[in-house]
Amino acid sequence: MKNTYILLLTLFSFIAVQAQVDRTVMPKPGPAPEINLGVPQSFNLNNGLKVLVVENHKLPRVSMQLSIDNPPILEGDKAGVASLTGSLLGLGSKNITKEAFNEEIDFLGARLYFSAQGAYAQSLSKYFSRMMELMADAAIYPNFTQEEFDKEKEKLITGLKTEEKVVSSISSRVQRALAYGKNHPYGEFTTEETVNNVTLSDVEEFYRDYFVPANAYLIVIGDVNLEEVKSLTEKYFTSWTKAVPPSFSYSQPKNVPNTQINFVDMPNAVQSEITVQNIVNLKMKDDDYIAALLANEILGGGADSRLYSNLREDKGYTYGAYSSIGNDKYGPSRFSASAEVRNMVTDSSVVEILKELNAIVTKPVTDEELKNTKAVYAGSFIMALENPETIARYALNTEKENLPKDFYKTFLEKLDKVNKADVEAAAKKYFNVDNARVIVVGKGSDILSNLQNVEFKGKKLPVLAYSKTADRVETPDYNAAVPTDVSVKSILEKYIKAIGGKDKLESVNTLAMMASAEMQGMKLDLNLKKTSSNQLMQDVQMMGNSVSKQVVNGDKGYMVMQGQRKDLEEKELQAIKKESAPFFELQLINDASVVIEGMEMVGDKNAYKLKVGEDKSAFYDAETGLKLQEVTITEMQGQQIASTSNFEDYKEVSGILFPFKILQTVGPQSFEFVVSEIKVNDGVSPTDFE
Amino acid sequence: MKMKLLLVSALSVIGFAGLAQEVAYEEYNLENDLHVILHQDNTAPIISISVFYHVGSKDEDPQRTGFAHFFEHLLFEGTENIERGEWDKIVSANGGSGNATTNEDRTYYYEVFPSNNLELGLWLESERMLHPVINQKGVDTQNEVVKEEKRLRVDNSPYGKFIENIKKNLFQSHPYKETVIGKMADLDAATLDEFIAFQKKFYAPNNAVLVIAGDFEKENAKKLISDYFKDIPKGAEITRTFPKETPITSEINAKAYDSNIQIPATMIAYRTPGLKNRDSQVLEMISTYLSDGPSSKLYKKMVDEEKQALQIGAIPVTLEDYGMYIVFALPVGETSLNTLNSSIETEVEKLRNELISENDYQKLQNKFENQFVNSNASIEGIAESLAEYYALYGDTSLINKEIEVYRSITREEIKEVANKYLKPNQRLVLEYLPEQNTAN
Repeated sequence: MKNTYILLLTLFSFIAVQAQVDRTVMPKPGPAPEINLGVPQSFNLNNGLKVLVVENHKLPRVSMQLSIDNPPILEGDKAGVASLTGSLLGLGSKNITKEAFNEEIDFLGARLYFSAQGAYAQSLSKYFSRMMELMADAAIYPNFTQEEFDKEKEKLITGLKTEEKVVSSISSRVQRALAYGKNHPYGEFTTEETVNNVTLSDVEEFYRDYFVPANAYLIVIGDVNLEEVKSLTEKYFTSWTKAVPPSFSYSQPKNVPNTQINFVDMPNAVQSEITVQNIVNLKMKDDDYIAALLANEILGGGADSRLYSNLREDKGYTYGAYSSIGNDKYGPSRFSASAEVRNMVTDSSVVEILKELNAIVTKPVTDEELKNTKAVYAGSFIMALENPETIARYALNTEKENLPKDFYKTFLEKLDKVNKADVEAAAKKYFNVDNARVIVVGKGSDILSNLQNVEFKGKKLPVLAYSKTADRVETPDYNAAVPTDVSVKSILEKYIKAIGGKDKLESVNTLAMMASAEMQGMKLDLNLKKTSSNQLMQDVQMMGNSVSKQVVNGDKGYMVMQGQRKDLEEKELQAIKKESAPFFELQLINDASVVIEGMEMVGDKNAYKLKVGEDKSAFYDAETGLKLQEVTITEMQGQQIASTSNFEDYKEVSGILFPFKILQTVGPQSFEFVVSEIKVNDGVSPTDFE
Repeated sequence: MKMKLLLVSALSVIGFAGLAQEVAYEEYNLENDLHVILHQDNTAPIISISVFYHVGSKDEDPQRTGFAHFFEHLLFEGTENIERGEWDKIVSANGGSGNATTNEDRTYYYEVFPSNNLELGLWLESERMLHPVINQKGVDTQNEVVKEEKRLRVDNSPYGKFIENIKKNLFQSHPYKETVIGKMADLDAATLDEFIAFQKKFYAPNNAVLVIAGDFEKENAKKLISDYFKDIPKGAEITRTFPKETPITSEINAKAYDSNIQIPATMIAYRTPGLKNRDSQVLEMISTYLSDGPSSKLYKKMVDEEKQALQIGAIPVTLEDYGMYIVFALPVGETSLNTLNSSIETEVEKLRNELISENDYQKLQNKFENQFVNSNASIEGIAESLAEYYALYGDTSLINKEIEVYRSITREEIKEVANKYLKPNQRLVLEYLPEQNTAN
């Protein structure tokens, strides 16, 4: 109706002026479009399952989403049970084997996924009936077996181990734990220990308690009709036993009385992750919901936002700085502004983020900012509507969040009406710059002393230290002194003596090493050759094909990466040349640029840290003198990446000790190379370096 | 178990065969012979405005290759009413996005906007058609951009030169023997007058299709289309007479070298018929059967089971006058290219001598139908398909009916077509080898 009205108006205006279009003037956009969202039809089964149907016959396909809207669940000392339940669902059922189940879905050209509290399927509409049958069958009659349980548990633990070294994973865990408390469903986290507490019967119990129809929605979108969906859902989902999940109440998280820094030490960090966060009470149905979204978008929504412009474009501290604001009908959620920054600018970045937060709560945003942000927001809102999943999400949100029926239909109109005062009020209400936690996860020895001097509104911010599991700890002291009788020379001499002695090492003219590692079931072979006359060849092969090769021969050198050959630049050449010596420590003794950077722990060993190159450090065991680790920092696409080699399992070859296990870590990836052979003064020919 | 599964799916086919997708559209010509196709879908407030020009690299003067692709760039330089450099800014400031693509047969420009910007989109595209600014400054700028694009996508890209090597061996006289990006020397030698003449000849309303798809009101849209496009003058009639190729009757062997690679590749290519020929669709099914994705025959055999190939894939190229079916494989370790070639030929030979299994046939149909359906999932995708079905296939209704063609293809026909086009004496075997570098 509204459209017709607009149309008439447009026609009249054309007739009235009766003119040709004026090409010299760019046409103005019409009024914000109304959204013609499909209106879902709905019905309930006796067991409580609510079914929403959005008919759309344009394409002969259908998607089904099963979503169980349970209140937050505290998993406690069995954290991980939900994730394991999700992984074990959808592996066939009591009535069909996993293999036959997967094969049939592949045959139909369809997709079907499960999670702990839901499932999703997509197929051609002619296979809708069978897909619903398969989904219901797997959901109602899951086949939980010890064999699959053990496999999934193993996978989960492997994943957790990897996360332990990843700054962003630790940061996200600590953020939630500090915001909500560790005994809150949103604040607890999964550890190897809690996963080991979970048994197959816990999974069965979790499934029985929570995979129930009381709060479940089944959304069907596409080329179907209501009657068909009704009869099929009754046929396949009626046997889902009626049950209500247990519900608990939890303590209400609170904001801190004064803004403070919460610091977590990760000695391997080459970047710090900074998050400024506070608790918010925001629900989608709140009147200022859209104003809050806009305030957040202006502060840190994307590449045009204030945080991004300041920290990336202006200062170059980071590759990106963003903020986000949550909403939750069950209770509090979080506002956060975050950035990953270089170690050396951690304190300055904290200052800048707080400055931007303070600015947006104390001054109105500009007209230009509001106009552009609305345009971007409207554009992305509109473009997302093409995707059927978006329409499903909207229909579901409308139900779950108890939104007015026309919430999404009138979303753009509401967006358009938000003014500067609304945005300012929302910023004031939700960005609590005076009651925020500034969580910094990073390398304490580089960043802590500067953090302790960060001032905000003329006052120093208190710095409280936490462990990686969000427990309060003593603020570390990084000035563990290097004993006065230790020098670069004494460290290197001790190392040289420990592995065989100066004379022995100097008699080595050539060195050849073969090692191999496993990566995702594939074998990586490493072949390394060095000579005492500035020659090096390192070739990494995967399944017999070279994936990376470096060759240095005197003053020339090249590398081949993924088939692309490139001559080394002077700087790269010099760096690799230094490494080409069979034992570069022999040269380092006389190199004035080498300095002691302090003492650090490598694993459980105390080590001296030497700066041995512009971007490279080496760590020597304080007790045995052996080299434990080397770390090289490189910059890739604005991110600093550390590659670490750990040396273990020293064994003797020709009177010299060599590490037979080398653990290589680059970013989140790590490979364990096991040495199969080392040859001294043998197995190297001049043609190796051509 | 398998028997039961088959039965289930066979039943569902019968049960729901009547349901088909329905993309509604309306088409008409303006007086200047601009063909207009409207596809109204008010589901989401998005609108796509696109112009399909029936001009591609095959329409170029053989001494001036690369022109069509060059125009893809040149026609963003501005118009009499849109200043240089403003085009992209106008699009993004109004919440939209856009781009253009070129191939051997056609060039396609499009913008997607929130639906309240229909008029803006029409203004932009009519400006581009009516009076684009073509001057030396723009030509010089885009000349550099195109050269950079060639360096990025062809010269420095591993395996980036395969298509030019396949084309020059599969085609002797038809302009498909040249690449779309063309020869840089031709572009350097071209004069401003030649560019202006090319624009006048091919970028006229009678050689174009305007497609409006998405959320609009028909009468309003028609009125605006007329307002913005009706006065654009019609161009001269375009006649296309391209030389025909003689059939390939003995295997062609060729070698190509690429300094960007270390692992060689074998590429086997067959010349196939133009896209209006039904056999072209049969060959697409064959390509999917043999080499599309991890569950295809060649992948399962050569990558999964026998571990001969690191990677295998196929590129079916369907074009107006001829097509190409290209299979490529990268060897694992010491496996020779000949071993790969004979593995591929063994599977192709099976297709020529035996019918594919009923189960594989049904799976293929399902896969095809899924692809077809999902290719029409976005407004922009539908708009482009509509233009292609009209201008290249000569039948817009294929947007809804093409799947019927695939459904009607039988196992027997697959065998027949394999025998017609995919015999060893009809193929090109290209050894694509690393360029030997002398170590420095």
